Amino acid sequence: MTEEKTYIKASSIQEALQLAETHSSHCKFIAGGTDMMVNKYQGNDTTQHLIDISGIDELKTIRKDDTYLYIGSLVRLSDLKKNSDIATEFPVLLEAAHAVGSPLIRQTATLGGNILCENRCIYFNQSEWWREAVGYCLKCNGNVCIATGGKKACFSEFASDTAPALIALNAKVKLIEPSGERVIALEELFSGDGIKPKTIGTDCLIKEIILPRGQAFKAVFKKLRLRETLEFTSLTTAVSLNNKNDLRIVLGGVDPKPVLVKAKLNDNKEDLIKKAIKGGRAVDNDMFSRTYRRDMISVFLKEAFALLNI
Amino acid sequence: MKILSLFVNGTKHQVVINEHDTLVKVLREKLNLTGTKMGCEQGSCGACTVMVDGRAVQSCITPALKMEGCYVSTIEGISEKDREHLLQEKFVQHGAIQCGYCTPGMIMTTLAFLKENPHPNHEEIKEAISGNLCRCTGYKKIIEAIEAYVKEINGGPKLEKKTVTNKFNMVGHAHPYMEAAKKASGRADYADDIKIKNALHCKLIRSIYPHAKILAIHTEAAKNLEGVKAIVSGKELPISFGVLPISQDETAMAVDKTRYVGEIVVAVAAETEEIAEAACKLIKIDYAPYKPFLEMDESVSDAGEHEKIHKHTKFNNNIHKKAELRFGDQQQGLKEADHRLEMEFKFQGINHGFTEPHAATAWWDENGLSIITATQVPHYLHRFLAKVLETPMNRIRVIKPYVGGGFGGKSDPFPHEMIVSYLSKVCDRPVKIRFNREEVFLTNHGRHPSKMKVALGMTNSGEISVLDADIVIDGGAYGSFGVVTSYYNGVLLQAPYKINNFGFKTLRVYTNKPQSGAMRGHGAVNSRFAVETLLDEMAHKLNIDPCDIRFKNFLDHDTLTVGHYRITSNGSALSLKKVMEQSNWKNKFGKLAFGHGYGVACGFFISGSALPIHWNEYPQSVVHLKVDMDGRVLITSGASDIGQGSDTMLAIVVGEVLGLSMDNLFVIAADTLITPIDLGSYSSRVTFMAGNAAKMAAENLREQILDAVVKYTGVEKSELNLASERVYSNDQKVNLSWVEAVEMGTRFVGALNSTGHYNSPKLGGDFKGAGAGLSPSYTFGALVAEVKVDVETGFVKVLNMWGAHDCGKALNPLAVEGQLEGSWHMGLGQAVSEEMRYVDGLLLNANLLNYKIPTSLDTPPIHSNIIETIDPEGPFGAKETGEGALHPSLPAIANAIYDAVGIRITSLPIRPEEVLRKLKEKQNELAAK
Repeated sequence: MTEEKTYIKASSIQEALQLAETHSSHCKFIAGGTDMMVNKYQGNDTTQHLIDISGIDELKTIRKDDTYLYIGSLVRLSDLKKNSDIATEFPVLLEAAHAVGSPLIRQTATLGGNILCENRCIYFNQSEWWREAVGYCLKCNGNVCIATGGKKACFSEFASDTAPALIALNAKVKLIEPSGERVIALEELFSGDGIKPKTIGTDCLIKEIILPRGQAFKAVFKKLRLRETLEFTSLTTAVSLNNKNDLRIVLGGVDPKPVLVKAKLNDNKEDLIKKAIKGGRAVDNDMFSRTYRRDMISVFLKEAFALLNI
Repeated sequence: MKILSLFVNGTKHQVVINEHDTLVKVLREKLNLTGTKMGCEQGSCGACTVMVDGRAVQSCITPALKMEGCYVSTIEGISEKDREHLLQEKFVQHGAIQCGYCTPGMIMTTLAFLKENPHPNHEEIKEAISGNLCRCTGYKKIIEAIEAYVKEINGGPKLEKKTVTNKFNMVGHAHPYMEAAKKASGRADYADDIKIKNALHCKLIRSIYPHAKILAIHTEAAKNLEGVKAIVSGKELPISFGVLPISQDETAMAVDKTRYVGEIVVAVAAETEEIAEAACKLIKIDYAPYKPFLEMDESVSDAGEHEKIHKHTKFNNNIHKKAELRFGDQQQGLKEADHRLEMEFKFQGINHGFTEPHAATAWWDENGLSIITATQVPHYLHRFLAKVLETPMNRIRVIKPYVGGGFGGKSDPFPHEMIVSYLSKVCDRPVKIRFNREEVFLTNHGRHPSKMKVALGMTNSGEISVLDADIVIDGGAYGSFGVVTSYYNGVLLQAPYKINNFGFKTLRVYTNKPQSGAMRGHGAVNSRFAVETLLDEMAHKLNIDPCDIRFKNFLDHDTLTVGHYRITSNGSALSLKKVMEQSNWKNKFGKLAFGHGYGVACGFFISGSALPIHWNEYPQSVVHLKVDMDGRVLITSGASDIGQGSDTMLAIVVGEVLGLSMDNLFVIAADTLITPIDLGSYSSRVTFMAGNAAKMAAENLREQILDAVVKYTGVEKSELNLASERVYSNDQKVNLSWVEAVEMGTRFVGALNSTGHYNSPKLGGDFKGAGAGLSPSYTFGALVAEVKVDVETGFVKVLNMWGAHDCGKALNPLAVEGQLEGSWHMGLGQAVSEEMRYVDGLLLNANLLNYKIPTSLDTPPIHSNIIETIDPEGPFGAKETGEGALHPSLPAIANAIYDAVGIRITSLPIRPEEVLRKLKEKQNELAAK
């Protein structure tokens, strides 16, 4: 309890990056904090230095040019619907944002934060006492995965609802790091390693989310959850079709990273479903069973295909 | 440490805080704004919602330092000068407040939402509050209150109060709770809101093994930590206790061995919560695990060489109690049956889910021990504190503050209450404890998981000829109310239907899990589900409408059941008729498209237990009244208002008798030093028993006043009336204000007081076990549910619930509706989403994210109907309304699923996965044919 903790509000991107450099050993950026604060409460996140970026106005804008729409990473989930371009061109993003948490969570949580939401597992998202009682799992410095009864890999679920929708919309993200800015496809942000699910370091910020315009996306979003609100996902599916007949199928909640199946309009749908199911490494780490969640992939995708008339 | 500057309710504050503190801690602990509540501390319940720069924010997951320079509004800051905010008023008027613990958060969420959307429709309101959990109301009255507010601020007509033509002045009129405004404004103090000067903080170390010998406890490092005042363990408090005298099997902390994961092993008192927590981390405990018994089957079987959970069980197994009763001739009943059905059922355990976590503060002074604690049973706690601490009862005082819901989950004396009482003695300082949500779940005492085989026989003419139930219930590690639960599972099946040949056997087993206990609808909910499901199946088999089959079998009023229960008032048929009509049953049931269905079920419950837990001749409830020159009548009662409205009920009863309005009534309740004894808020006894005691006390006071008026005016007593704060004769020659009449009564004595009491009449048969389930009155009800089943996913959506409950007489219809709606909502939760799930004895979902209480969006429209039958012995004809209504809601939903898709639900909760499996089975069967 004597360990030094800090909480610093950064007023610019540059300041945030500098602070991250200063505290490079044990720092994180915090925006809405709805995910991180719970992880801190449970002792899963012991970050000493929190750098609050929520005051950086530059990250809160939404702008567009002819080819792209740029959404600042700090736009709150409940504010996305106020932008008419998103509502007309990418309504599926609004559906996905609306599926996150509860209305209270959505008023605080940001789009960038949701994309970077920590992976989840019912054996991990527990108090410190609980994790001691069950025997610590791989994700909290233990030796084996408890959910699978002893495997040496972590299968924590990718939990973001907005990321699958954004990936279906072929989104890119602009990252800012001490070394400069770069743009990557959103799916490249995720490593597939349940223990360290992001490919970026803690000194990296998402500046904006970039959505390609003019592709006339038709898209369908679905989320498996027992209650109609408050829940993290047990399976998220986002399926999109653009005007070049590119079909993108994205799954969340069934693998440590989003599962992306790229296809064409006329590809055999049964094969695509099989491929999607195979692409996920779902295990019994959720209140819904692995079998059921895998079964639902097929149900959800069929429904999506039907709604897309394909 | 850092200094945080922020504006709270318009005032600038500078507060020294720890860097990673949360906003809720700053508000509650630094600024003493305890109107903001903590329900889960993980952003899953919304109780802590405040506004920051006009937006709703959950303060439990908001870093305090994020608030630098921000404008924060809390519930304390929204009322206008001398007046509550109009939304607060609407919450009060519409009965949107029961326990009141979710209210501040609910109001703050609503106000923020209305800024964005000042003209919301019903669905938008429902959506807006869906991050705020309420366990009392089923959200119905909350939504109504918000709608009324929106209407009024948008210039709509004020909703006129319904004028009820009623021969009573107080009884039968809708009264907001007396304390509702206090709760709406954040001024009502719950156990954790009360600060006792100089209090230490207590934290607990809980077992990580389900069943293990405690070898050693290493406390040296922790003892040396600055600020640690005491560390205690089980051996220091070894005297056992338990709410039932026959189940004294629990100790304050584990002595020698632990019996479930989560059992308290060590307790620490320290200057701050943080120090106590740090000390806990420094304490190491060595265990030697025993084989755990986690499943009912294991516990029923011989334990072999393995250590049993309790030494005192009769045989070499873990069976705690066997309850068995048989009436009539079941063999004959089977012979007479033209149709026989037998089904097996399985139920997961569920938790009360009250929004306020347990909290208590204890201290010792020249008067002995005082404890303020969130309890439903101050009297039982009083008794067992005396036992465990070896302190006479006259040196102990138990005080119940406002309680944020109980539902049976605060109806036992608890280890933590013993521990803080003991620690405060050891440290000679007040000691405070507050549970987090995980600890609430681990403490449990929720509904027993159970499994049962139930058989029903019926004649061709549709009459029940026999009922048999073979039941096992999972008690967890300790006794609690379990012996009563064992009986209730069986005995409460002997009504509402006439069954001449009836028997049951219940085994309650110990397992190495958190203990089960009493929960709303105690004991009978799961077995009721079984019977109502069987009746539905039988109706289909015999091709009789499920409502008709019930009408055919209902017991009459003023009759005896086969087990000698005395049925007086009986609203079964009225209830069922009402919900049939209202739901348009005849045109809907069996007539809807595949996937869409209607289901019905009925219920039955006790209205207070006729036999007290501690067997004696003592009255079960006593009420005192006092009045002197100001004319205000002080009502004191041991009855515990936990949000169900019992304080208000007492005032209504007294006011009715004395012709007074709320202006002249005041209630002080549940303080064992000040208030006369009442056994507590459990088994649906308070309205019937404390209500009758209050009525008697008021009648006694009335006599004293009237005697004085007669003496000084010479008018015949029979000519005098009390109404509208006056005492007057029929000819109006005597026409005194209440204060003038009181003055006559008190002229030579200074003050008047009176007392009233209630004790149940002698009831029941003289066979062994005859006392189980005896009650001075019983309640009845019915519910129709409408569901849609998604045949692709197995999801069940409940679209409507039409409920009716016979409460005898609604003393306070607003409160009665609230109780009914809350009961049906809780039934919905057990039916479709709630369960306590374990892995190796470790509770997997000890939080409000994965323990799934239905949100406003998951709750269908609830259509409430109060049925009045005027009970001959209830106060003004009233009987219970807080528990019995729950029973029919679960089987009605399951029966609706049968109507929708033709599958029988035999286990709860109804998991989509299970529905899907059954649908596939059924398809395969059909294909095979």
